[in-house]
Amino acid sequence: MMKLKIITLASLVLSFSVLADVPPSAAVCAGCHGQQGQGVEPLGPRLAGLPASYIEKQINLFQTGQRQNPTMQSMSMMVQGDAINQVAEYFAAMDVPLVKPHFRGEKADYPDATERLVYQGDWDRVIPACVTCHGPSGLGVGEFPRLAGQQASYIKSQLLAWQSGTRKGDLDGVMHNIATKLTPSEIDALSQYFATLK
Amino acid sequence: MKKIPLILLSLIMIPAVQADELPDTQTELVSVPKLASQTYLKPRPLNAIPDGEFGDKVRKGYELFVNTQQLRGKYVGNELNCSNCHMDAGRKANASPLWAAYFAYPAYRKKNDKVNSFEERIQGCFTYSMNGKAPASGSAELVALSAYSYWLGMGGVMDMAKLDSPVPAISDALLLQGGKLADFPIPEKVKSMMTIDELAKLPGKGFPLVPKPPLAYSPVRGEKVYQAHCQSCHGADGLGYETAGVYSLPPLWGPDSFNWGAGMHRVNTAASFIYENMPFGKSIQLTAQEAWDVAAYVNSHERPQDPRYKGDVSKLMTKYHKHQGYYGQAVDGSPILGSHSYAINPKGE
Repeated sequence: MMKLKIITLASLVLSFSVLADVPPSAAVCAGCHGQQGQGVEPLGPRLAGLPASYIEKQINLFQTGQRQNPTMQSMSMMVQGDAINQVAEYFAAMDVPLVKPHFRGEKADYPDATERLVYQGDWDRVIPACVTCHGPSGLGVGEFPRLAGQQASYIKSQLLAWQSGTRKGDLDGVMHNIATKLTPSEIDALSQYFATLK
Repeated sequence: MKKIPLILLSLIMIPAVQADELPDTQTELVSVPKLASQTYLKPRPLNAIPDGEFGDKVRKGYELFVNTQQLRGKYVGNELNCSNCHMDAGRKANASPLWAAYFAYPAYRKKNDKVNSFEERIQGCFTYSMNGKAPASGSAELVALSAYSYWLGMGGVMDMAKLDSPVPAISDALLLQGGKLADFPIPEKVKSMMTIDELAKLPGKGFPLVPKPPLAYSPVRGEKVYQAHCQSCHGADGLGYETAGVYSLPPLWGPDSFNWGAGMHRVNTAASFIYENMPFGKSIQLTAQEAWDVAAYVNSHERPQDPRYKGDVSKLMTKYHKHQGYYGQAVDGSPILGSHSYAINPKGE
């Protein structure tokens, strides 16, 4: 019995240390995004739990200038070849806080205008609900990144980047199209909403 | 005693076709070209749904429409929700809005001398589009979906007639019939503005007709369109994407999509839908040719079997599939479509 416990403990310690070991290729990211990709506001957004394919694509977009950010333009160039996939897989595998998803159709009436945008959109302005593409509670689906628990300052900066065109890479400009319809106060409110989603 | 509407009488007098024959409730809606000057009915905001028994039915209808997966295994046999195709929860013009459909039923069809009530039309959606099992006539689910549709439609036309009173509650039996009844309770001010026939053809009904393509549609060309414009949301395999058990990005073919009896399997219907409503949140981004081609590509993949199937693909094809679709055909060297179809209502009780 005792032996078993020791083994379990040892393997726990072992697995933890494996997890905590940042691959050399990701060390360059950890400064701003955190050792576990948990994010360091306002230096770098959370990467933990984002799909590896999404992270890879973003590195590529920074490298090719389709996403413009002075820091990331040079930092992304420091990750090349196989390292791109290694970095992506490493951060994708990191734990993210659990969020109890709220499902569309749980209720019809959202008195709060921000929640209404998130779960029903505003089709008078042809703005679909955020959760249609970003998944229940913005947990992320396929190529559409998780918004739940992301830093508010980052979500805001990205919505503004989609508006101004300094962030590209969305197919057929779908995100640009939506972002340009959002008002400054909606952008603030949506950023706060997703950042604080529990 | 109130006079029984003529159309109801005919309903009572015409016996059901054959008990073992599923009704063809997903026949093609007549699509009309979109006019630039068109204005559309605007349904009331959802926070205007009244409190009380009637309002509860309307709310329930909305909830079922948007989260149809709560009926999974009972009446739903795939990963779709009604709101996947009926944009903005059935409120958006030109995306088959519920408010327009409601006033178009009961619909008499010369072809088989049958009248379909609104309830029967929704039953068809469960059988075909949702690859499930139709809730029984008069069930709470059908009442709720009908109530939601009625409330959207009636509120919208009342607003057009400058009537800001609440939408009058009506009986379940009437809700299930649909609004195209000779003595359906319609406020006088609305009646003086529009006839029943005009109400049945509200602008924005169904999907507007996509222009004819210069070339015959081609799934081979469609594959390229799919890869360029559709795949990032619906996946290279067409199976959509799921998070927390919800396919917010719906599967377009395969075991968890609509079956071979659903209206959307017709290339022309899908082309019209796609042309008007895709990519999501944008409209008319593809050329008509691209919309036709990609509709052909999507609909030339295997999907759940047509529920009217009785063991013979070619017989079913001759009987029900004489239209622009691929059921019973081999595409690009594939096995005959329909011969390897997926299960109908696979997790059904």
